[in-house]
Amino acid sequence: MELDTVKERAGPREFSPADDLPEEYRKAATRMIEFHANSEIMGAYLERPFIRQAPSIDRKLACSAKVQDEIGHGQLLYRAAESLGIKSREEMLDDLANGDGKFLNCFHYPMEDWVETPMIAFFVDGAAMRRQATLRRTSWEPYAHAMDKVCFEEGFHVKHGEDILRELMTGSRKEQQMTQEAFEEWWPRIIQFFGPTDDKSTHHDFAASVGLKQQSNDALRNAFLDQYIPKARKYGLEIPDEPRIRELDDGTYEVEEGDLDWDEFFTIAKNDYEPGLGQINGRKAAQEAVQWVRDTIEGDATAAGGHAPQAAD
Amino acid sequence: MTASLENPDDLDARERDALETLLKRLADDEFVLAERYTEWQVRAPSLESDLALSNNAQDELGHARLWYDVLEDLGYEEQDLVYERDPADFRHATLVELPFEEGDWADPILRSYLYDVAEKLRLEALEESTYPKIADRVGKIQSEEEYHLEHAQSWLERLADGDEGHERLQDALDRLFPHALTIFEPVNRDVESDIVDLGLRDATLEEMGEEWLSNVVPYLESLDLDVPESGQMDDDEFEFEVTQEMLPEERGRDGSHTDAWVDLYDEFTHTYRELGRSETTKIMEKPE
Amino acid sequence: MIWEVFRQEKAGNYHTHCGNVHAPDREMAKQFAAIQHGRRKPTNSLWVVPSEEIGEIDAEDVAFGGTTDKAYRWATAYNTTGEDAVEVVESEDEQATAERQRGDD
Repeated sequence: MELDTVKERAGPREFSPADDLPEEYRKAATRMIEFHANSEIMGAYLERPFIRQAPSIDRKLACSAKVQDEIGHGQLLYRAAESLGIKSREEMLDDLANGDGKFLNCFHYPMEDWVETPMIAFFVDGAAMRRQATLRRTSWEPYAHAMDKVCFEEGFHVKHGEDILRELMTGSRKEQQMTQEAFEEWWPRIIQFFGPTDDKSTHHDFAASVGLKQQSNDALRNAFLDQYIPKARKYGLEIPDEPRIRELDDGTYEVEEGDLDWDEFFTIAKNDYEPGLGQINGRKAAQEAVQWVRDTIEGDATAAGGHAPQAAD
Repeated sequence: MTASLENPDDLDARERDALETLLKRLADDEFVLAERYTEWQVRAPSLESDLALSNNAQDELGHARLWYDVLEDLGYEEQDLVYERDPADFRHATLVELPFEEGDWADPILRSYLYDVAEKLRLEALEESTYPKIADRVGKIQSEEEYHLEHAQSWLERLADGDEGHERLQDALDRLFPHALTIFEPVNRDVESDIVDLGLRDATLEEMGEEWLSNVVPYLESLDLDVPESGQMDDDEFEFEVTQEMLPEERGRDGSHTDAWVDLYDEFTHTYRELGRSETTKIMEKPE
Repeated sequence: MIWEVFRQEKAGNYHTHCGNVHAPDREMAKQFAAIQHGRRKPTNSLWVVPSEEIGEIDAEDVAFGGTTDKAYRWATAYNTTGEDAVEVVESEDEQATAERQRGDD
């Protein structure tokens, strides 16, 4: 298929592994889905210590189930990416281990305390869910199908995160203060989740033109702020003064980009952010430590990773 | 047939102590094992195996929740039973508290097998418990445990087939076997007799231990593994005579635990203590 | 040889099982399936899979989703206030439906 034809046809769920797609499309889709899959894994990695640290049995169950779901989402997404015929799951996981795989900015920051868990589980997951909902209309059918299942499950994550936030913000004075401090630390990172404004985003144009990406960074950020600023206030969180956020007459928001640390953001995007290297390397060590098991059941591993790539056009 | 023990308020001190001891053995085993299993989340050999082990962790934790809930009938709350309890009062076997070495997948698999066979026998011995709430909950737990045992055996057979897997399994077996024997150790002799005499559980620790050996020894040997001490056992009978030399220094059941337990306890109570909590959050309704 | 057939109505939809055909090999299985299962109902694509390659695990083999309470996995178990984002509401509705269906058996 010619790229022009792809652009003409680029509707929701339009292309499947049965289509002979140009390499440009398949590479762009692989990059996008691999990033998404990696983010699920690194999000799970960040949250797993809190399964142990959860302050009740029910919370522990929910945290374990959530981390389990994220790994499940990774499984779905790596398959959707693999089906493009560019990279195998094993290659993607190896790249992630070696620090070459890219993933969401928020999952590069270390997380120390339980009061930080709703920053991820409510705000970051809420932001992710906003984006994922739009991706049910992506042009790569296996990706859209993965999104159906992810969106089905994700509501539990956001609700669980919100429930933890509610509990903390109706708890002791100390809990409220600690939560507010965590919120102030995480808020700029959460805003940066959506990346820089559209005119600075490098991959947006192509991904949008072939129907992979369904909404722009600006539109997603707006929708998120519109929904989650009132929620944060409802639970008694004070929105930090910076970054300055102006509500415009048309109900949308404008974030003062200069108030955000873009040097840090782009350092993170290159996997060079020092405090986050512990997470990348920690997961790498874990992956390497069980290499012997994968070798033992190699027959299986080859079958799973050995999806024949489509002929390059 | 012993009379049914219906109302927790009507129990005398001996009955109460027996019931409480039995439930702590059950609940603490499941809770601590689940706690250890969760260490494999995001660390298992593949995404699929990660999901499966996480499932088992949640199942075990769910079972612990059911047993702790029965203890609540005796006037306790979750914080008394877990988050504010003296770590030396926990009654789990040392098998479930040992830490994992990073990447040693043979350990959780073998540990799960050793534990799940014992769990199966124990649950069978509880089916007719004279404490109705115990008997009622056994069925639900059994249907989840079946998967755990099959899962462990599938893995064991595949790991035992490879050189490295076999070697690691043997190492794990040498290390874990003495601790697995503590599953059948008493909290104290008197209370263990009471548990059986009152019909709370209809098999003695020795009977279950013997049955366990007659299951695990031939199976592990069929995988070409050497079971420690099995030379000392009568092959036909599996007389269950555990000598002091076969056991680890800490027995778990009697409140003596390895250092790893203290660290684990500190970690899972960390947030509760840091936030100065005095009660635990419930998400689910009280079990029926 | 028996081949199981999965039909997709429109591009982007799921392939769902719709029946099977007797055929000596994959090529002929595709040709037969196209007529037997694609001639009347709207069809965009068919998959054929050798029956014997299909493994099955059913509710008698395993308790899908477990037998003890796992309400913590469902959005409906949590107490929150205020209006939720539309995608959260949709997810919660889908979960509530699935939970009801699970309870029906």
